[in-house]
Amino acid sequence: MSPGSSRTRTRNVFEPLSASEVAQPWQSRFGIPEDVFSGYQFFRKAKSIWAISDAPLPRLSFESLGMRIMNIKDRPWKPTTCALQVFGKHATRNLVHLDEEQARLFLEGGTQVIGPDMKLDLAPEPASDSASYQAFDLASDQASDPVSGPMPGYVVVFYRGEVLGCGLYSHGKLISQIPKERRAGEQPGR
Amino acid sequence: MNSFSGGMDNLERYRDIVPDYEAFKAIQSRPLPGSCRINTLKIERDALLGRLEEKGMLCRAFDWYSLGLKLDIESPGKMVENLLGYIHIQEELSMVPPLVLDPQPGETVLDLCASPGSKTTQISQMMNNRELVIANEPSLDRVAPLRANCERLGVLNVAITRYDGRIFPRGPFDRILVDAPCSSEGRERRGPGTISRSSRTKSLELQKLQIRLLQNAVRLAKPGGVVVYSTCTYAPEENELVVNAVLDEARLEKILLPGLIGCPGVNRWSGETLSDDLLRCARYYPHQNDTGGFFVARLIKN
Repeated sequence: MSPGSSRTRTRNVFEPLSASEVAQPWQSRFGIPEDVFSGYQFFRKAKSIWAISDAPLPRLSFESLGMRIMNIKDRPWKPTTCALQVFGKHATRNLVHLDEEQARLFLEGGTQVIGPDMKLDLAPEPASDSASYQAFDLASDQASDPVSGPMPGYVVVFYRGEVLGCGLYSHGKLISQIPKERRAGEQPGR
Repeated sequence: MNSFSGGMDNLERYRDIVPDYEAFKAIQSRPLPGSCRINTLKIERDALLGRLEEKGMLCRAFDWYSLGLKLDIESPGKMVENLLGYIHIQEELSMVPPLVLDPQPGETVLDLCASPGSKTTQISQMMNNRELVIANEPSLDRVAPLRANCERLGVLNVAITRYDGRIFPRGPFDRILVDAPCSSEGRERRGPGTISRSSRTKSLELQKLQIRLLQNAVRLAKPGGVVVYSTCTYAPEENELVVNAVLDEARLEKILLPGLIGCPGVNRWSGETLSDDLLRCARYYPHQNDTGGFFVARLIKN
């Protein structure tokens, strides 16, 4: 059963998932090799998928297990910014490279039009990979629009070779998915 | 407490145990210098220093810990490096307890009073994001910042639990940190007014909780395992007198952090004579290193 199966009743317990099940959408959308996800164990709880080092877990009642790497509340599932900051550097497609000003806007949580000068790599997924196709892209429920060009979906956003986080590319626009509390300019000083 | 003294009268009872007491008292009204820890889970030290230099940001590594930096920057929390998790804004002395705990790769570690996770994430980084750190935090409100810090810093070896630390049920652990709730007198420079609210009575109240936390930690440690007890307060009621309660089950080891000036623990207080072993605890005062204040003890379970 796929981790995002909508028929599964949402339960508030950590249910183990196989690494390959979790790795598949990352591979098909971003070209991240499956072995990047070895050395971790994965769980589904409520609307998130979690990753933690593969050490044996003691018999305790857990509030969280490692990092939330995917939000599966809605289709398409969404990779978290914190997970992309760890695993996104291995991505080979569906990347966006920003310049300084664009990166600043992205980190502030802004939406920007993808200009002709913006370095985009929005390669389509392999056509045969239909099972995981829905994972991180919106193409399955939106007609491909020849005007807006590349297929919409989540992208790994880079600046100077470093992953900034998750963006949503849609109809020629890049919408920042940086969580509110981690946006530039809105932090209360600690 | 009257506003003229700023509550500093509450420090009087420490006059006999703090060296250069007048300097200790005077520094309380001076704000704390900014500091951060380089998060090596996300960036190499040299790369981070290069970024700061390129931006013209002034920083200087601590004499005693190469990953700790003094930062001369307003609102360091807003730095992109902080938002991306390359650094963590953390008080200088708050980096001491994880170093004293000294977790090793392959071990299982418990951080009994974890939120907001500055020390938890430092432990995680010392373990190279492998094996397992259990970060316990009973308060639901305080789990959110703990989890947010872990996620921002790219931590993948921390599991969060929400037990009452006094009855955390199950071990054993190789190493346990008890960074106990305390009267926080050592935070005066960061949150003025803390000292004016402290008192011996309040410390004795907290002591009951602190002793039970430490006793449970010792119970949960493997034989020969390390338990570190720390607070950010000066009151011996919350420090040596807490550690004193477990000396039948664990022995104290001396703390050595070259480059950081510390004082030995106290072995007599309020007319009471305590074990000389307590001299192996470490007290850090704000005027000695231009920091906050901290107490740390390293125990080995029998």
